[in-house]
Amino acid sequence: MKLKGVIIFILLAYIFFILIGGFLSVQFGKNRMNVAKAYIEKTPKDLQVANVVTAVVVNYRGFDTLGEVTVLFLASTGLASILFRRREIHTELNPRRRSVQASRIVQVAGKALFPLMILLGGYVFIHGHLTPGGGFQGGVIIATGYLFLLIAYRKFAVKHNTITWIESLAGATFAGLGIMGLILGKDFLENFMLTGKLNDLLSGGIIPLIYIAVGFKVAAELTGILDTLLSISVDVNTNSKNNNNE
Amino acid sequence: MSELTINQILTYTFYGTSLLLIMIGFYGVLTKKNLIKIMLSFSIVDSGVNLLLISIGYINNGTAPIFSPSIMEKIHKGISVQMVDPVPQALVLTAIVIGFGVTAVGLALIVRLYRHHNTTNIDEIKNLKW
Amino acid sequence: MVSPIYFIALPLLTAFLLPLFGKIHKSLIRIIPGLLFAYLAVNAVVLLMQTSVDKPIITEIAGWAPPLGINLMFTPFSGFIATVISLLAFLVWAYSYLFKKVEFDNAVKYFVLLMLIVAGSIGVVITGDIFNQFVFLEITSISAYSLTAFYRGRDGAEAAFKYLIVGSFSSVFILLGIALIYGHLGTLNMADIAANIDKIPPKLKVLIFILLFVGFGIEAEMFPLNGWAPDAYSQAPGPIGSVFAAMTSKAGLYALIRMIYTLFDISSAYKTLLIMGVITLVFAETIALRQEKIKRMLAYSSIGQIGLIMIAFGLNTQLGIFAGLFVLFNHAVIKSLLFLSASFLVYNSKVKYISDLEGMGKQMPLTALLFSLGAFAIVGLPPFSGFWGKLYLLMATANKGMVVLLALILSVSIVEIVYYFRVIHRLYFREYTGKYQVQKPRWNAMAAMLILGLTIIVVGLYPDLITSYIQQATDALIDKQNYIHSVLPNLGLN
Repeated sequence: MKLKGVIIFILLAYIFFILIGGFLSVQFGKNRMNVAKAYIEKTPKDLQVANVVTAVVVNYRGFDTLGEVTVLFLASTGLASILFRRREIHTELNPRRRSVQASRIVQVAGKALFPLMILLGGYVFIHGHLTPGGGFQGGVIIATGYLFLLIAYRKFAVKHNTITWIESLAGATFAGLGIMGLILGKDFLENFMLTGKLNDLLSGGIIPLIYIAVGFKVAAELTGILDTLLSISVDVNTNSKNNNNE
Repeated sequence: MSELTINQILTYTFYGTSLLLIMIGFYGVLTKKNLIKIMLSFSIVDSGVNLLLISIGYINNGTAPIFSPSIMEKIHKGISVQMVDPVPQALVLTAIVIGFGVTAVGLALIVRLYRHHNTTNIDEIKNLKW
Repeated sequence: MVSPIYFIALPLLTAFLLPLFGKIHKSLIRIIPGLLFAYLAVNAVVLLMQTSVDKPIITEIAGWAPPLGINLMFTPFSGFIATVISLLAFLVWAYSYLFKKVEFDNAVKYFVLLMLIVAGSIGVVITGDIFNQFVFLEITSISAYSLTAFYRGRDGAEAAFKYLIVGSFSSVFILLGIALIYGHLGTLNMADIAANIDKIPPKLKVLIFILLFVGFGIEAEMFPLNGWAPDAYSQAPGPIGSVFAAMTSKAGLYALIRMIYTLFDISSAYKTLLIMGVITLVFAETIALRQEKIKRMLAYSSIGQIGLIMIAFGLNTQLGIFAGLFVLFNHAVIKSLLFLSASFLVYNSKVKYISDLEGMGKQMPLTALLFSLGAFAIVGLPPFSGFWGKLYLLMATANKGMVVLLALILSVSIVEIVYYFRVIHRLYFREYTGKYQVQKPRWNAMAAMLILGLTIIVVGLYPDLITSYIQQATDALIDKQNYIHSVLPNLGLN
């Protein structure tokens, strides 16, 4: 099998040199902004939002963000369908066991850091339009807080019912805000609220609202995914031999 | 060979490192036998691609594209402020999330495969052939 | 109340809320997707009729005119494909309405995934922004991975994993291509790229083309990137096999065609498509001969048809594009019928060998008849719709003087006849062994299959019903300047 490794190495090196030749033509650091220049000029004036990246993600290219939120929802649904997790059988009767008990330091630190992480995550996604960050970043921070607890305590479980509700409602809020734009006679996802003053918390119209919904959704989904993956039972014998066509 | 300017060094560093990461990841995907190592290699590829996308957006002497109060002051004083391209950052946000979604589904599939075949070696999972 | 945006917004909204609907009342989860797909089908047909007499429908998202914002492009060409996808989506829903094998929990996930894979495919077809196309392609792919591994007992996980690995390669290549395009042109809007494509140095253009060609080609099941396809088709649930044949491969094909015809102006791109089409066709049909399992045979036949479509579009003539669109329509309709009927013919067999079909002709007369109808149609026998598609394709080939190609297509058709008739022979001329229990389709599945069968017969007898739409789609595809000017009326924006 050594020969196969060498052939692949040579092939990849060849592709590497072709690609780097291609990318060298894209000069590093050159100012080539085309649509981006218009984005930077319009954002503080028309949208009154300080963070241009947030404006691009939620407003100018909001459709991509809708697709991305769908991808997260898909990952969560796909995971559940592949692993056949039954949502009704809840874990109060049958607590899942991690294999190794975490040390005392992790448990104490987990309890202490958890509220701080939730606070930080909430701050990040509420202020997405003013400071670096936003819905996705804040949601990931919150999910990390939950991960801490999931690792520290063996019997900690997240209620999947709650997660389903938050997921669906947050996703529907995003799509609903977009459709509201349609109902009010404008375009899908167009900003239909007042925009306020630059650098205010209540600026930017529907942009902070969308990002807050995204923050909740990302936090709920990542926590759900982590919980599912951490609680799979690895009894091979009961699962493989009983497989038959349903 | 012409002299290496700072710009060229930077270009080689950023683009070269990202492409190197991508190639290392591909090598891992194509040669490793363990399923989990294959998924990890894909994560490396994703990191490389995202790094590459962001590097394209850099502009010399540019700052973060956020109109914070301090930058607004500078603008009012008449100092011109150069900002970095915000579009690749938005693209990378989406790409990271998509990469995460694919990794999650891939890991779930690995769990199913392990339950069924009791192995994580890709050579032994060959129920479907021609 | 009709607008291209509803193709995406409504399925997404419904998919997000479906788990909540399920908690209210269990039968809602089967009815609501049906209402949604019915609405989408009506939406598509109305929009297609409107755009045939008017100019292309352009929808701006978030109120920003392109190239600042993302826009949706419903031209006669993309609209035709989107309409085909919507109508088939409704029929697939009808078929899986009383899906017997699935209990409630999994039924919710099945319908959510079905709605999202349809939304993703339509999104790829009607968007006017290249990164948006990538996002929708990923939505389609992830739904496909999950649907392939849907059943517990078969080797779905292995097929899905293979699909996932190849799909991840495709997304990396597409992202690299998009990075290069953005690095040079600073824009992501398709019309803007088409207008400014000559600003990229020629060698780099070829590199970007190859990256995107390989990336989209994986989804379009081009050789040699289609190793994942037979496994995925055979392991997925029956209706999902027809979804793969009719929707996801069409989405990948659309992306390829849009790239070659509109975005890039490389003249040798067409020849590349032609050659890859020939290789795909020959490879797929030869291997189909050797197959012993019915779904894998149908999968390879499907790949062969895609090769035919690629040849048609690679000819770069009016008649070629016309033929390609006709074959595309035929493939979507006929292959769906074949997958749906074959699913019932081998329902209770575990491995689904062809020999398990023996004698089903007498046990399930209507289903077997529909399968035979599909088989006759796809090899191109008159008076069914497949005949017209193949005829136009042969005419287009002859027009260009490529006699060898013509002979090749004819001989491949003979190969198709051989392996399809083998199945039909077993259906009718062998005795039913009684090894597998017969599962008769319920009324909803039968209705869906009958509608498909009727379409084949009606279009075969009166092809003019759809040729006007196809002709307009052809004109729309060739007219690159119209595409650019409809989106960017004042060229030189920014």
